[in-house]
Amino acid sequence: MTANSPPRPTLAPVIFILVLGALLPFLLQSGFHMRLAMLIWIYAILSMGFNLLYGYTGQISLGQPAFYAIGAYGFAMLQVKLGWGPVPSFIGTLVVCAVVAVLIGLPLLRLRTHYLAMATLAFMLIQHGIANRWIGFTGGQSGIAIVPLQWGGETIGRTGLYFVVLGMAAAVLLLHDFLVRSHVGRAMQAIRDDETAAAALGVHVVKYKLRILVLSAVIAGVAGVCFTLTSLRVDPSLSEFHVLVSMLTIVVVGGLGTRFGPILGSVVVVLLPQVLTGFGELETIVYGAFILVFLLFLPHGLSSLIERRDFLAAFKARKPAGTGKEAAE
Amino acid sequence: MMMKLSYLLLAGLTNGSVYGLIGLSLSIIYGSSRVINFAQGEFVMLGAMTAVMFLATLALPWPVALVLVAVVAIVAALGLDHGVYRPLVRRKAEPLTIMIGTLAAAIIIYGIALLVWGPEQKFVPPILSLAPIRFGFLMTNAQQLAIIAMFFGFLVATWFLLYRTRFGLSIRATGVNPRVALLMGIRSERIVQFSFMYSAFVSGMAGLMIGPLLGGQIGMGLLLTVKGFMAAILGGLGSPFAAAAGGLAIGLMEAFMAGYGTSLYAEPAIFVLILLVLIVRPYGLLGDYEAERR
Repeated sequence: MTANSPPRPTLAPVIFILVLGALLPFLLQSGFHMRLAMLIWIYAILSMGFNLLYGYTGQISLGQPAFYAIGAYGFAMLQVKLGWGPVPSFIGTLVVCAVVAVLIGLPLLRLRTHYLAMATLAFMLIQHGIANRWIGFTGGQSGIAIVPLQWGGETIGRTGLYFVVLGMAAAVLLLHDFLVRSHVGRAMQAIRDDETAAAALGVHVVKYKLRILVLSAVIAGVAGVCFTLTSLRVDPSLSEFHVLVSMLTIVVVGGLGTRFGPILGSVVVVLLPQVLTGFGELETIVYGAFILVFLLFLPHGLSSLIERRDFLAAFKARKPAGTGKEAAE
Repeated sequence: MMMKLSYLLLAGLTNGSVYGLIGLSLSIIYGSSRVINFAQGEFVMLGAMTAVMFLATLALPWPVALVLVAVVAIVAALGLDHGVYRPLVRRKAEPLTIMIGTLAAAIIIYGIALLVWGPEQKFVPPILSLAPIRFGFLMTNAQQLAIIAMFFGFLVATWFLLYRTRFGLSIRATGVNPRVALLMGIRSERIVQFSFMYSAFVSGMAGLMIGPLLGGQIGMGLLLTVKGFMAAILGGLGSPFAAAAGGLAIGLMEAFMAGYGTSLYAEPAIFVLILLVLIVRPYGLLGDYEAERR
C-alpha cells in the first residue's frame, strides 16, 4: 500500500499541484477552457470528500451528491431569500451541511456496506425529489439564480473566480493531505481494514466514522458552493445520477484511498467527454468501458502508476502475482 | 370508494411485482456472489426493448419473441459474468468495487441500447390484451393479471429450485460459504454464472411484460434498478423471498401514496419510509437470516 511506502510523504507534490493550478489561468485563453479548469477543481473537491470517507475510512456513501446539492442550494438560498452576504452564506451553508450530515449519520452509520450504500442513495433521491418538486421553496426545475460574486463594488471576473475556486480546492487539498498523513488518517485506515481490530486498538470507531462523514459532507458542500459561484444558478441536476457516476469514476480512475487520486481522476473525467465528443454516439459506451478497463487493469488508479514512479516495476510486480495465484488454487 | 381501492391495489400489485422480481434477481446474485448488480434494471430495459424489436419491428409470433427476449437477456448476463464479475474476482476486488464494475456494465448496456433504439419512448406491444376485464367492481386487464401471476410463478419456481433440488442446495451452500462449497466439489463459479443467467431471465421477462404498461425507453433501467434495490434492502437482501415481498410493499405504498396522498411526493416519501425502516431494522424487515450469518 502506498501509505506504508518507506519514504515519508512530503508536501512537495501538493505545492507542485497548486502552483500548476495557479499558473493555469495564464496558459488558458478561452473562457470555455477556464470553465473546464474550474469544473476540474470542483469535482476534485467533491471527490476528495468521498475519498476520505470511502477510500480511507471504507464507509461508502452514495449520498455525497445530495450534500453537493445542499451546499449549492444553501449558498444560493441564503443569499437570495435571506439576503445574507456571500461570506455569511458560505459559513451558514457549511453549518447546514454539517447538521444534516450528523442527522443522517447518527442512525445510518450503524449500517454496513451495501445497506449503507443503499440508505445513502435513498437520502440522495429524497433530496433530489424535494429539490425537483417543492417549487415554492427550491424553484423546482428552473432552480435559483444568484448575483455574481463582488469585491469592492466590482464583479469578480472569470480569472478572479478561478482563484477563489482554486483557494477552496487548495484548502481542501491541504486538509485532505494533512488528515491522511496524521494519526487520524491511520485511525481511518484501521477502521477500513477491520473495525473490530481498530476498536480493540483504542480507535473510537463510531466517533471517527461520524466525524469523517460530517467532514466529507462539508467538503461536498464546499464543492457545491464553488459550483454556484461559477455557474450562478442551482437546479436539481446537481444531485442527478450522473454526478454520482462521475464521482465514482473519478475515485476509481484516480485511485481509491490515494493522496492525489481525486485530482488526477477529475482531470480525466472532466476532460474525457471533451475528447469523446469525437466518438459521437459511441460516447456512452466508451465512457463505461473506460471505467471497466481501469477497474480491471489499474485497480489502484492512475496514482499507483505515479506513486510507484516506475512503470516497469509495477508490471513486473503484478505478473508473478497473477500466475502465482493460479498455481496456489 | 371500493373501486378506487381495488384499482390502486391492482396497480400497486402490478408495479410491485416488477420491483419484487428485480429484488428477487438482485438477491439471488447477491446470495451467490456477495455482489449487488447495478445492471439489473438494464436487463428489464433489454427485455422491454427487445420485445419492441421482435414483436413490432420484426413482427415475430409471440412464443418465438419470448424465447429470443430470454436469449438476449441471458447473453447479456453471460457478458456481465465473463466480462466484469470473473475478471474482477480473479483480481481479488472488493464487493463494492465489483458493484462499481456492474455500474460500468450498466452504462455500456445503456450505450449499446442508445445506438440500437435511440432515446425515444417506444410502444411495447402487449402479448395479452389490454382490454379491460370486469369482476364486479374490480377493473383490470389480462396483462396486469399475467404480471401478477408471473410474479407468483417465479416465486414458486425459485423456491422449488432453491429448496427442492440438488442444484438449489449447491446454490445455497455457495451462498453460505463459497470456499467450503468449492471444497465439497461445487463449482462456485458456475453457480454464480447460473445466478446471473437466471436473474437476467427473470428480469428480462419482467421487462417484456411491464413494457406495454410503462412504455419502453432505454433510460428506464436506472430507476428500476434503484426500486429493485430498495425492494431488496427493505425486505432483506439475504433472502430472495424477503426481497420479493419488499418489492410488493414498495409497489403498494407507491400506489396508495399516489392515490390517497399526493402523487407529487409519492416517490420521495417512499425513500423516506425505507430510510426509517433501515434505521429501525438495519438488515431489512425480514432480514434476520442475514444478520445471523455475519
